[in-house]
Amino acid sequence: MRKINFKNIKLAITAIAIMGVASSCDVTDLSPANLIPDEEAFGTAARVESVVLGVYESAQAGFYLGVVQRGYPFGAANVQQGDMRGEDMYNDQLFYEITYVANHTPFSANNNGMWISIYRMVNRANIVLENLETALQAGVINQQQRDVLRGEMLFMRALGHHELLVHFARPYMDNPGSLGVPYRTVAINDVPLVAENEAVGRTTVADDYAQLLADLNEAEGLLPLERNFSRVRRGAVIGLKSRVLLHMGNWQGVVDELNKLTGTYGLTDSPVTPFRNWNSPENIFSFVHTAESNAGVNGALPAMYGNPARGARGLVKVSPLIWRSEFWHPEDLRRSELTDRNAGGIYSFKYTDVVTRTDPNPILRFSEVVLNAAEAHARLGNSAQAIELLNSVRDRALPASIPSFTAGDFANTDALLTAIFNERRIEFLAEGRRWADIHRLSGEGLMDGIPLKATSRSITSLDFYTTDREIPTDHALPYTDTRFVWPIPQEEILNNSTAPIEQNPGY
Amino acid sequence: MKKVLLVVALMTMTAVSLFAQSRTISGKVTSPEEPEGIPGVNVVVKGTTIGTVTDFDGNYSLSVPEGRNVLVFSFVGFLTREMTIGNNSVINVVLQPDLKTLGEVVVVGYGTQERRDITGSVTSIDNRAIENLVTPSFESQLAGRAPGVQITTPNGTLGAAPIIRIRGVNSITGSASPLIVIDGVPVVDADRSAVNASNPLANINPADIESFEVLKDGSATAIFGSRAANGVILITTKRGSSGKAQVNYNTAIGFNEAQNRFDLLNGDDFVTIANERRANANQSPLANPSGINTDWQDLILRRGFTQQHNLSISGGSDATKYFFSMGFTEQESALDVNDLRRYTFRANVDHSVSKSFRIGTSLNYSFTEINGLNQGANSLSGVMLNATRALPNVSPFDPDNIAFDGFNVTPDGRTTGLGANLAGPDNNLPNIGFVLANNLFRNRVHRVLGNAYGELDIVKGLTARSMVGVDLTLADDFQSLDPRHGDGQSVNGSVFMAFNPVQRWNWQNTLNYQTIIADDHTLNVTLGMEYQYDNFYNFSASGNDFSDDFFRRDNLISGSFNNQFSGGGFAERGFDSYFSRVNYGYRGKYLLSFTLRNDGISDLARENQRGTFFGGSVGWRLSDEAFFNSNLISDFKVRASYAEVGNTEIGTFAAFGGFNPVLGGAGAGLGYNRIANRGLLWETSKKFNAGVDMTIGRVTLAADVFRNNIDGLILSAPTIPSLGVPGNSINQNIGAMFNEGIELRVMSNVINRGNFSWNTDFNISLLRNEVTNLVQPIVGTYNRTVEGGPIAQLYGVRWAGVNPNNGNPMYFNGDDIVQFNLVPGATGWRAFDPANPSDVSVGATGPTQDFLGNTLPTWWGGWNNNFTYGNWDLEVFLRFSGGNVIMNETMRGQLGQGFSNNHASVLNRWTESGQVTDIPKQYTGSDAVMWQTGTSNSRFVERGDFLRVQNIVLGYTVPAATLQSAFNGAISSARFFAQAQNPFLFTNYSGLDPESNVFAGQLSFGVDWNVTPIFRTFSVGLNVGF
Repeated sequence: MRKINFKNIKLAITAIAIMGVASSCDVTDLSPANLIPDEEAFGTAARVESVVLGVYESAQAGFYLGVVQRGYPFGAANVQQGDMRGEDMYNDQLFYEITYVANHTPFSANNNGMWISIYRMVNRANIVLENLETALQAGVINQQQRDVLRGEMLFMRALGHHELLVHFARPYMDNPGSLGVPYRTVAINDVPLVAENEAVGRTTVADDYAQLLADLNEAEGLLPLERNFSRVRRGAVIGLKSRVLLHMGNWQGVVDELNKLTGTYGLTDSPVTPFRNWNSPENIFSFVHTAESNAGVNGALPAMYGNPARGARGLVKVSPLIWRSEFWHPEDLRRSELTDRNAGGIYSFKYTDVVTRTDPNPILRFSEVVLNAAEAHARLGNSAQAIELLNSVRDRALPASIPSFTAGDFANTDALLTAIFNERRIEFLAEGRRWADIHRLSGEGLMDGIPLKATSRSITSLDFYTTDREIPTDHALPYTDTRFVWPIPQEEILNNSTAPIEQNPGY
Repeated sequence: MKKVLLVVALMTMTAVSLFAQSRTISGKVTSPEEPEGIPGVNVVVKGTTIGTVTDFDGNYSLSVPEGRNVLVFSFVGFLTREMTIGNNSVINVVLQPDLKTLGEVVVVGYGTQERRDITGSVTSIDNRAIENLVTPSFESQLAGRAPGVQITTPNGTLGAAPIIRIRGVNSITGSASPLIVIDGVPVVDADRSAVNASNPLANINPADIESFEVLKDGSATAIFGSRAANGVILITTKRGSSGKAQVNYNTAIGFNEAQNRFDLLNGDDFVTIANERRANANQSPLANPSGINTDWQDLILRRGFTQQHNLSISGGSDATKYFFSMGFTEQESALDVNDLRRYTFRANVDHSVSKSFRIGTSLNYSFTEINGLNQGANSLSGVMLNATRALPNVSPFDPDNIAFDGFNVTPDGRTTGLGANLAGPDNNLPNIGFVLANNLFRNRVHRVLGNAYGELDIVKGLTARSMVGVDLTLADDFQSLDPRHGDGQSVNGSVFMAFNPVQRWNWQNTLNYQTIIADDHTLNVTLGMEYQYDNFYNFSASGNDFSDDFFRRDNLISGSFNNQFSGGGFAERGFDSYFSRVNYGYRGKYLLSFTLRNDGISDLARENQRGTFFGGSVGWRLSDEAFFNSNLISDFKVRASYAEVGNTEIGTFAAFGGFNPVLGGAGAGLGYNRIANRGLLWETSKKFNAGVDMTIGRVTLAADVFRNNIDGLILSAPTIPSLGVPGNSINQNIGAMFNEGIELRVMSNVINRGNFSWNTDFNISLLRNEVTNLVQPIVGTYNRTVEGGPIAQLYGVRWAGVNPNNGNPMYFNGDDIVQFNLVPGATGWRAFDPANPSDVSVGATGPTQDFLGNTLPTWWGGWNNNFTYGNWDLEVFLRFSGGNVIMNETMRGQLGQGFSNNHASVLNRWTESGQVTDIPKQYTGSDAVMWQTGTSNSRFVERGDFLRVQNIVLGYTVPAATLQSAFNGAISSARFFAQAQNPFLFTNYSGLDPESNVFAGQLSFGVDWNVTPIFRTFSVGLNVGF
């Protein structure tokens, strides 16, 4: 028998120890604690619902300069950009200067932010749309659940693309054959899909509007009528369709859409109510905010538009141009109740929760559908109906002593239309709707681009509102100017290694 | 170092020959530094092959044949000594260290190697030059001391981490920072603070460090495999040696001050400029003279007090050696309220349980507190933006304004008081004095860095070692914003607190075999395995809308705020590796090294997570060849290496994708967060290096050329935004680039005469970076990275000057010049006709963009000079760098066209026809067109070349005799010193500092944007030994 060698024992022990270590120590089989893999995200009905809520989240909290902030696209930025492109709200600080004076470029942040954050939301919606069918087949959700969720996602997709068309393409009523935007309908959730879909170019404006209507028409048939205003319901789809049809000049369509909503929605007695009671029958759809989820101090509407005397930042004021305009009646409740002032000027008071910033962002109000229809009636020659609808919005803001409009107030249809357009400016002041009107009306030839605005950073005192002090003006932009439509972000063109889309002319 | 020698010695056994007919001589071999005995010393009977080696305690016993009378004692690192035997039977020998080679045993990762045998590219830095400096963290002081290593302190805020690049930028979207290993354990290098900059390496007491080894080429780093792409810095802390306990106390006291500040408009000039700017745009004046001339920089800058104290005790017996230290430092930066306090404790113990079994520990605990501030380049309360924009004709103070503590603030708290002006500063800038006095940003870090090892000699030359290391960071944040004014006003006060720990454990097991075969062949084989696991987690709580400001000063106090928020996160990473290294040498002349390593990392998908990396190098010591016969050249070695290594810092779970939780207004949901790419593979670097080491007379020289090809870069490859891909990018293996360069280091003892000596140490590095493959350009605001050029070139518009005729700013559109017409009602781009400069009738499109220069320094280096004269010593350390350009965004902002203060150079603006200037006619609100904000602009692109006098240190060592008579032996050594750190800067750069950099990432580099001023430090100190 061999002698046991002590040294060999040590060697053996070491070897065994090391082998034991090697086999017992697996530190690389880990998975992220904060990511649910694609294949599990639609595994239960609750998760499907969560992913849908994630689409809402991307609508209110998208990327601006690479960071989720400032309420892009529909948390606040759609309102601010829409207002700052127009003349009725006034830019007092650097924040919105580029938009206000139209110095945007293919690399400036605001226009890029809208493009990037909208398409991010659209892709989230497309991912849901694709996976709903799988979840339905797998029995995770039933047909009814699938229909409602599909309707919501189609609405989101349409809302996003319409906002893009209004900013990045020429108006439908000018030339439906002009360059539209890529209409994304395919979910991009795998590496090979990138190259395939890079090749999808800019369709025409007409193609895009056709797809918008296709999405909305399908959604209309899928969604329930009754639901909370913070989720997409049938009314929201109809309201958006009314807007889209207005941009297309489909006047009868606009009238028809109003008729679908009447009875379900209505105008409140006071124009103030929709901003104090968000659950009013006038609110068709809003993106809601909470203390934990809002556009933040650098984006939220109450922060940016509110009066500094109430703790807001007041970077944007009501323009003295509209404040001193003749068409805004001095006794209008929307002056006294929905604005606020300090020594520096007059501010919107539609959004009031300065500290906690929970005001929802109104996307569709019934008054818009009403005024859309008023305009459509006027175009169709139905002045009586047009005036009746216009009065329904206007009269509630005025004392009983002020007479309603009558046919005698308008020399012709153009005068009636002007009154409707002006009413829209007052009614939707600080709601971001002004740009869309400038866009479509310029395309139609009723406006020539962006009118003169109060010069940026020049309205330093209340005097400009309350006295006849001259208002400095600047920043008008004719419709023909290159800058009337925003440029396609340079990343969109540079990062496309397959088939870069065409830049808007002049950039 | 001694410890290292001992280990090496144990491995170096030679055969013992025995002869009859002899006498036995025994004795002990010691050295002044190792009085307990040197193991492994060769003892040979001169003229024979008879010999032995000393045992663990330095004892030997040897039979010497008749007729032989001389013993030769030799050991690496010591001068060989011959002893005549005579009639003695006991011969004890004290070997003197060979200063030429001693200290050149270097730590190379999982072991050590003799400097003379190294075939890779390794630079050692002795900590003695650094440990007395006043510095927030050690690595900032390594700048300029090693060729190939670039270390940039990007701003002057204490807590800001220096940017470290070894041989350039070696990854595009992964980390480009080196691996840092302390006493064998890779440390976590992650800033865990959410409220201010908190450099994790600032938790280490620089005085505890013995030496640094910088591993640069593929061969030297290959043993670190996948973590080696960006080089490795190995740090060895101090350890005890046997002998009487030595107590050392070091201190330094001094101050920090801003090296430079901006020359801004005074109040009176501001009024002129501001009103002229508005008048030119047909707008009413807003500014009124007040006789007040405020330099708001006075409110943010100060002379900050700094002190540091370090006490250490070291010593040991034959079996047990210890080093204990305590350190305290308090540093106030040149920025008001920004300071750092650090308390450190270290215990390093080594113990020999038996002759073949050793254990030991290294343990470091530190507590670091940093009080920071808002330094956001574009934040209204960001100190630099604010102090350079605030209106100078307004006083910061208003003693009657009790509601705002005597600061000048409007009654509604929205902005700084208007003074005589009709409007406040743009964007309602707050009063920075109030903000600094009331808003708090604090980060505290408890850090435990420790390891324990056991080492067992299994058979002669074969040693097994196991080491467990822990790196624990317990970081907590506190941020409090005042409800009255500044960033906290909009939310009526806020408090944010967070706890952000990181835990890492690392377990290494190695087997090392060293032997000498047939006297001529040295072989050193290392086999090992390593496991590492990191866990990052955090939670936070915050509140806003406070009932009373009283409650927000120290902590979250329950019930004092209306809105409550909380958050948290969790991430983990694992890493394992199996590795081997073989070093072979033939008579020290021919040297070979080969390394092979297989690594796995949890960031990649299971099926793709393993990578194999290898490296090899060869060396040839020509000076040992018989044919090499030079009296001048005493040492001449050539070496070459090639290796493939990887980069692990590619992002946690880089290959994974899916949906993450998102909280929207409509409820908590799931948002599509990242597209998975399970096919993601390792990013690999192929590194080639060739070098020579030479000693010519008194000059020692090391030169290297290298090329590093990086393939399959892990790129968060940009996708077009209209696809809506999360983050508009997908992690992909796309792209390739290389770095190539030359490094040279020359050291010499220039003069050594009488009691005067001058030692000099000079290094210079040249580097070229080029991206060789990229699918599409990577575009940033200022930078663009494209194929065929270096990473992160500046990209933007080309300035064509000011039209002397009308003061319009002009830019290039292709080869044409266009001007922006600054005339009210007629603004817009117009063609510029040099033949008819006043013509503004022809419309034009805006400027086009172009590449404006390389942002990476292409040459840099350092030059250190040490002079001693008697008891006096003087160090003068210079550092230089250049070849890069900087986008001076700070200056562009300071020439802004709003109602804000300006740089004083705005006084040169165009005012009359024919005036030639580089500042256009002032025109309010025209920043975007005049200066083309949002992209780089050649008007503000400047060269970044500089020469900096980094340190001047003057010391006086008290003569031992004086100490003896004064303190009767109680104090064994004393040295007084005075230090000036960063006293002089020579550059043409017009900003505060050419090393200022607002972005830390490698894709947006070379932008100076409202960066806090880098400071200089003056201090005096004392080193005492007891």
